[in-house]
Parts: sequence; structure tokens; C-alpha cells
Amino acid sequence: MHGRLKIKTTAQQKAEKELKQSNQLTQYKASMSQILLHRNCDPFDPVSFKICAGLLSTNPDIYTLWNYRKEVILREKHRYEESDPAAKEDGDVDLKAFDGLLEKEISLTEDCLRANPKSYSAWYHRYWVLMLHSQPNWQQEFALCTKYLSVDDRNFHCWDYRRQLVNRIGITLPVEIKFSTERINNNFSNYSSWHYRSTLIQLNEQCIEEELELVKNAVFTDPGDSSAWFYLKWVVTNPALGKETCQELLDTLEQLQELEPDCKWVLLAKGWLMKRLHVKDYAVELYTQLIHLDAMRKGLYRDLLQNCIENS
Amino acid sequence: MTEHLHDVVLPDNITEELLTSQHIDFIKKYGEEQNKFEYGMTDYLRLSGMYWGLTALELMNAGVTDTQDAIVEYIVKCQDPDSGGISACIDHDPHILHTLSGIQILAMFDKLDAIDIEGVVKYVQKLQQFDGSFSGDKWGEVDTRFSFCAVMILSILNRISAIKVQKAVKFVKSCKNFDGGFGSRPLAESHAGLTYCCVGFLSITKRFDVLDIDNLAWWLCERQNPSGGFNGRPEKLPDVCYSWWVLATLAMLGKLTWIDGAKLQTFIFACQDQETGGFSDRPKDVPDPFHTLFAVAALSLLDYENIQKVNPTYCMPQHVIDRLQLDPKILPS
Ligand SMILES: [Zn+2]
Repeated sequence: MHGRLKIKTTAQQKAEKELKQSNQLTQYKASMSQILLHRNCDPFDPVSFKICAGLLSTNPDIYTLWNYRKEVILREKHRYEESDPAAKEDGDVDLKAFDGLLEKEISLTEDCLRANPKSYSAWYHRYWVLMLHSQPNWQQEFALCTKYLSVDDRNFHCWDYRRQLVNRIGITLPVEIKFSTERINNNFSNYSSWHYRSTLIQLNEQCIEEELELVKNAVFTDPGDSSAWFYLKWVVTNPALGKETCQELLDTLEQLQELEPDCKWVLLAKGWLMKRLHVKDYAVELYTQLIHLDAMRKGLYRDLLQNCIENS
Repeated sequence: MTEHLHDVVLPDNITEELLTSQHIDFIKKYGEEQNKFEYGMTDYLRLSGMYWGLTALELMNAGVTDTQDAIVEYIVKCQDPDSGGISACIDHDPHILHTLSGIQILAMFDKLDAIDIEGVVKYVQKLQQFDGSFSGDKWGEVDTRFSFCAVMILSILNRISAIKVQKAVKFVKSCKNFDGGFGSRPLAESHAGLTYCCVGFLSITKRFDVLDIDNLAWWLCERQNPSGGFNGRPEKLPDVCYSWWVLATLAMLGKLTWIDGAKLQTFIFACQDQETGGFSDRPKDVPDPFHTLFAVAALSLLDYENIQKVNPTYCMPQHVIDRLQLDPKILPS
């Protein structure tokens, strides 16, 4: 159970709640028995199928119910195919009626996702159904994905789904990189956007300066936000980044430090760069400062300091 | 500098000790009285729920003895004779998550022989995909959690060679990200829970060479917020279950000293329900067995008094892991 605040109730409220819950539980048990009893009916029992949809809309994690629906769908597919054996042989079955069933299923998953946008089962069922559709509307899926990302831009199910769709629709890499740049410029402090970018970019001599510019812009705009610093570390620890550029960045970070003397991220970044540039004798001062600024992780800084001393 | 607080404020009246007897009570009564509704409505995760509760009890030195036979009998009934997989409860479908929970409980009771072990091995074997990944059941959803379940199950049964281990490692490796962490599938964002699964997988298969240990451990220790609690991803709120996912991973990597154990302990204590017992995800939320296990297990890794030692890879009591003669890779700190 996540994020459910405990509420104080009066004795009467408690009794009312218990009665309501007891009815709800009886109802749930009756529904489950009804569905499981009719699970193997062929043709399927529309009443059970409908009750099942209702249960999933309130709780999409009852995984066996999704399995029931998949079984029904596969049996129906078979039925449509058998009804037109000639077409089946040509691989040319008119599956319009079957597609109709699938579309209802797609809209059911949408109801479920509205109630619980993080349901693994509902996302998976949606994709599974679309793969059976004779003409899946991937553009519509893409629009849905964009809509959900605008509601919660950290929902990793959505990002995963987007990735699958990009491949299906045939969106090119440059277009997707442009999308990523827009997202990042729109909000520097979204770790999911930075992650997504890291999966699109292959760091090399041609692009690394540009990446550094983008992430530098982010950390200088808002040095207290952690997201971009992780990306910065990825960029500056890559050998493709030239020494001269590293030195320039180090100088700029010194200036930033004067403005933000208590920002641990600036110090950490200086550490990454000085290590790369083989600067001598920086470690004691840097890590002593970090131990002071970020005492929760003093064990980390002590280890890093120890490493520096041993390697010098 | 803008402050970026994605954190909770701890209440003033935190009990600085573990309310052990209340927690034992909470678990034992789960399903009776106050939680009847919760219990009844969560049959679709029953076996995992039993694993959470029973392991928490064992770690608090209150392992059940009188109901063991009934529990074993129940698990036996949950095994599907055709596929060999185990379901969450009777009449529901087999799934690798519940197969693992069933195996973990039976291993704890030293009753693995009660079920058809060959059936379980075949079930897991069949779920491995061509690319080395595992699906959760026959319907094909792939996730790194399932790779971890597969090697946990098979190592407990001493049958890890039943699957293509190298291919399985290759798949998990393909889920590693720029920050050193892991997601649920290739290219998916790092998440502390899935990172725990992947590092646990590599601990069992003894393949830490796949990891960028220092980079990953840094990302993990940055999950600790000023409140002392851990989040699962940057800029997310802390949650007591991440105390386990993050801490256990750091324990496998030998980096427990990289976080503030005292502050974490305070956060965990703040999540215990002083009235009913049990732990919730955050202070003042509704408690449940899931968060209770992971809070207690995290306290075990912090060497809290009177809690049994837990194994960071398997999230099972260390004495069970020793009896099974399992030796997952765990780096010294
Ligand atoms: Zn949680």
C-alpha cells in the first residue's frame, strides 16, 4: 500500500465503514467465483466477462483476470478464423468483427490506467491486444502516451511505452533527440528526460561538446538540482571529452563555487574533473569540505579521499 | 540556490526503538479483525503476502511453528500440476513471483520436498526467452524482476544449470544505464527496486564484473534524503521499502558505510504504527505486511539488536541461507 494516509474516525464512522467493506468483500468474492466458474465456457459468458472488466477497473493487479480475458480473446480469434476457412488459407481473414472486440479491450485498459497509471498488467495487456489487431492505431497510442507524460513526466511505464512506439511508427533518431532537447529545456530537473536522452546519444568526439553545453546550461541555471549533475558526470568521465574542455569547465566551476559555496554538486564535479586532469593535492581540501557539507555520505568521501592518497 | 525538497518532515514524537511485540501482533492478526477487508481483497497476492509476514516474524524471532503444516499444505495446493508453477492462491494462475514466494517459504520451513520440484524447475526453464530474459508467466511480460526470481528459485533448488545462465546475464547486462543502475528492460530508467533485482541476480550468478560498482554505489547512496529515508529514483519521495532495496544492494556491494545508518534508522522508526503495530511506506500512513518486512529486514542490515541476521541477496534469514549452503557473492565492506 502506498501513500494512504491513516485517518482518525469516530466509532460510528468505523462501524459504517466496516459494514460497507464487508459488503464490498462479499461482492468481490461472489464476482471472483462467478468468473472462475465460467472461465472455460466456450462461447464465453458475457456476464462474467463484464463483471471481470468491472473488477479490473477498480484493481488492475488481479493478474488472473487479465489471463482470463486473454484466453477469451484467443478463443474468439480462433472462432473468427474458422468461420472463414478459405480466407484463412489466403492469410486474408476479415477480422473487422474481431477488431471490434479488441477495441473494447483497449478502452478497458484505458479505464484501468486512468485509475492506476502504474499498473504493469494493464500496460502489458494493452500492448498484447494491439499486437493482435489487424490495423493497430499506433498514432493514437502515441497521443495517449504524450497525454500521460504531460500528467506525470516521471511515469517510467509511459517512457517505456513511448520507446516501443517510436520504433513501430518509424520516428527517426534525430527527431527523437530533438524531442528530448525540448523536454529538457522545458524542465531541467526531470531525471527521466536525462535518462531518456542517455539512451539516444552515443557519446563521441562529434557530439560530446554539444552534450556538455546542454547539461552545463542546466547545472548553471539551477545548481541545487541533482538530475543534471548525474548526466554531467556521464559526459565528463567519457574519454571523448578533450582535456582542454575539461580544464575550461573546471575554471567555470570555480566561478560557480564562489556564487554557490555550499553546493556539494559543484565540489563533486570538480573532483571528477581533477581526477581526469591528474591534478595533484586537491583531494584533502575537496573531500574535507564535502564531509562537512554532506555529512550523511561522509563514508563515501572518506573512501574517495583514501583512494586519492593511495594512488598518488 | 533553489531548495529542492522531495522529502517528508518527520513527526516530533518518534519512538526510538523497535516495537517488536506490536509488530508481531500486527502480522499474526493480519487477516483477522481490523484488516479483514484488506486481507480478503488481496487474495491475488496471497503467497507473497505470506512470505512477507512469515519472514518478518522469523527475523523478529517469532517464527511460526503450529501453522507450518497448514501453510505447506496450502502451497502444495497452489502448485499447478500441468505447468509446475505456483499461483498466488487457489484457483488463480501460476506466476514466477508467487512461485518464488512459495519456494522461499518452503525453504524457510525446510519442507521443499513437499512440492513437485522438477515441475518448478521445468516451469522456470520454460519461461526463459530467446534473448536470455524471463517472462513472468506464459503470457510473455518480460522484466528484470523475473530474471532475479528465476535464479533465486533455481539456486535454492540447486538447479541453476537448468537455464542458460550466460544468456540470462547478457540480458541483465543490457539493462544497465548511464548512471550504473538498472531498469525493468533494456533502456528503461534506473530504479532502486529493479537495481536491487539485477544486482541480486549478479550476486547469485557471481558476475559483479558486469557492474560499475563505484558509479552505481554513488547513485544508490544519493537516494538518502535529509529525513534519512531513501527514495527509489532521484527527486522522488522516500519510502520505507526502499530502505531495503537500496541498503541491501549497498550491502552486496560492500558499501554500507556510504550512507547514514543512524538517520535511516530514525526514519524507519518513524514509519511504525504505534497503535496497531506494522510499518507504513511513510510516517502516518496505513501499515501493511510488505513494508513491515522490508523495514525489519533493513534494521537487520543496520545490525539492530535482537533481530536475526538477514541475507541481503535473498531477503531470507541468514541461517536458512547457511542451511541451504548458498553463497551469493557479497563484497566485504
Ligand atoms: Zn513502498
